[in-house]
Amino acid sequence: MLKENLKYLQIAFNRPIDDVEKMIFNLPVSERIIIEVGYPLIKEYGIESIRKVKSWWESKAKRKGYIVADLKCMDRAYTEIKLAYSAGASAVTCLGLAPIETINHFIERCNEFELDSILDMINVEYPFEILSKLKKLPKIIMLHKGVDENELNSEREIQYHEIERIKNAYDNIFVAIAGGETIDDVVTAIFNGADIVVLWKEFNENPEIIQKLTYEFLKEIE
Amino acid sequence: MKFNKKENKDIIKSPFIVLAILLLLIFIFFAPLFLIIWEIIFWGISLFTYLLSLFSFNNKLSELILKNIFNLSLIIFMFYLLYEIRKIIKIKPINQMSQSLVRIKYPPTNTTHFTLIHQKPKLKRNMKYLQIALNSDLNEAAAIISSLPVSERILIEVGTPLIKRYGVNAVRKIKSIVKQGTYIVADSKCVDLAFREVRAMFKAGANAVTCLGVAPVETIDRFIEECKRYNLDSMVDMMNVENPVEILKNLKNIPDVVIIHRGVDETEFSKEKEIPFYQINQIKDNFDVLVSIAGGDTIEEIQKAVFNDADIVVVWKDFYKSTQNTTELAAKFLKEIR
Repeated sequence: MLKENLKYLQIAFNRPIDDVEKMIFNLPVSERIIIEVGYPLIKEYGIESIRKVKSWWESKAKRKGYIVADLKCMDRAYTEIKLAYSAGASAVTCLGLAPIETINHFIERCNEFELDSILDMINVEYPFEILSKLKKLPKIIMLHKGVDENELNSEREIQYHEIERIKNAYDNIFVAIAGGETIDDVVTAIFNGADIVVLWKEFNENPEIIQKLTYEFLKEIE
Repeated sequence: MKFNKKENKDIIKSPFIVLAILLLLIFIFFAPLFLIIWEIIFWGISLFTYLLSLFSFNNKLSELILKNIFNLSLIIFMFYLLYEIRKIIKIKPINQMSQSLVRIKYPPTNTTHFTLIHQKPKLKRNMKYLQIALNSDLNEAAAIISSLPVSERILIEVGTPLIKRYGVNAVRKIKSIVKQGTYIVADSKCVDLAFREVRAMFKAGANAVTCLGVAPVETIDRFIEECKRYNLDSMVDMMNVENPVEILKNLKNIPDVVIIHRGVDETEFSKEKEIPFYQINQIKDNFDVLVSIAGGDTIEEIQKAVFNDADIVVVWKDFYKSTQNTTELAAKFLKEIR
C-alpha cells in the first residue's frame, strides 16, 4: 500500500523480458520504488510478464513489492482486473478517455479486489471534466504525456498546475506524473506536489547504469 | 638467370587460368547473393596478390604467393559463405505464403534488417465482411475457429483480452490454427508507442491492427504511417468519440478502416445508448475508408448496420464460447451481411 507522506519513483520496464530480469536484479532496494510492467511488455508477453516481474522484484527486495500493471483498460474492466489480480498486480491502470461506464465499473471492481486504481489522463485536456462525472474517485490520477507526443510535438506541456488543483479538490488522492524524463522534469513535478514520478526512458536506454540512475533520481525525490 | 625467368612465367600462367575459371563459375552460381562490398574485397585481394607476384623481384615470395593463392581465395570465400548463411538463418519466415524480400529501416535504432513481408490478403471495397472477435481463451478460440464455415468474408479478430493475457503469442497461435490466407485482425487498441506495437503485431502475423481514436493525434499519425510501412491495414477504433469526422480531419493520412464502436461496459450499464449508425454515411461522405461496426450483437443491429452501408460487422457475444450451433449462427450472420 502507498503511504501518504512518501514520494515514489515508478520505473516502467519496456525492454525484452530477459533484459528486465537483469535490470530488476540491479535495482537498489527501497520502499520508495514502484515497479511498472509497461504496456508494450504486457502486449508482447501477456500477463505472464507481471507474474515474472513480481517474483523477481520480491526475491530481490525480500518483501512484498508494489507492482503496477499498465493495462490501459478501455473496455471490459472486469475481465482486465481479474487478469491483473490473478497475475498478482497491486495496481491497474485505466484510460481517462474510456467510456464513463467503464471507468466507474473499473474503480468499483478495483475496490472489490483491493487493487489500487490508476486513472491515466493521456490526451485529456481537462482532467476535472472527467473526475466530476465519476461516481467514486480513483486512488491515483496519472497526468501523462505520451511518448509519441513527446517525440513529435515538443510544444505540449505536462499539466503541472493541475496537480495542486486536484489535491486541493479531493482528499486521499495520489497524483502521478508521467512523460517527463529528465532530472529537471522530476524536480518540477515534485515541486508542484506530485506523489509519484513515472520514468522509463533513461532506465530502458541505459540498463547497465540503472543502479546509479535510480540513486540519482531517488535523491531528487525526497 | 634467363632460364630462371622463363620458369617463373610458366608458374604464373597455369594456376591463374585455373583460378580465373573457378572464380567465374563461382560468380555465375552465386552472383545474385553477392553484395557489392564483398565482391570488391574478393576480387581486390586476388588481383592484388597476382600483381604482387607478377612485379615482385623476390622470386621466393612470388612463388609462395602463387602456390597459395588458390587456397587463400578459397578461405576468403568460405568466410563469405558463412557470413551469408548466418544472415539467412537469422531471418525467420513469417508466413509460408508468397514472400518477398523487402528492406526495412527501423527509425529508432537506425539499423537495417532484411525482413520477409508476406503479401496480405487485401480487404475488397465492394464486399461485406463478418468479423468474429475471439475474447475468452485460446482453447475456446480453437474450438470456435474449427466450427466456422469456410468463407473469405469471415475475418478473425484476436480480441484485446486475449492479447493482454497471452501477449503477441495469442496472434501467433491463432495464425497457426486458421486456414492459410485467413485475414487476422489484432485488436491491440494502441494508445502510445505505436511503432513498437505495430511491429510486434506484424511479426506475429496479423493483417490489421487497431488504434484508439482517443489516443493523441501524434500516435494515430505514427500508427498509420507504421502500418503502411509494414503493409498492414490500419483500423482506428472510435470508441467513446463523439465526432469521428473531426478526429479524421486532424490526421495526416486516413486509416484504411474506421471502427464505430460501442463498448461492452457501455452496452451493459447504460442500455439506452445506441450505436450511432448515422455516422457511417457521415464518414463515408467525407473520406474514402471502409467503416466497421462493433458492439451490436443482435440480428436487428446487424441488419441496421448493413442497411446503413457498413462494410464490416464485428460480433463477439455469440462466439464467446463454442456451442453446437456456432456454425449455423455464423452462416446466418453471413447471410444477413451481403
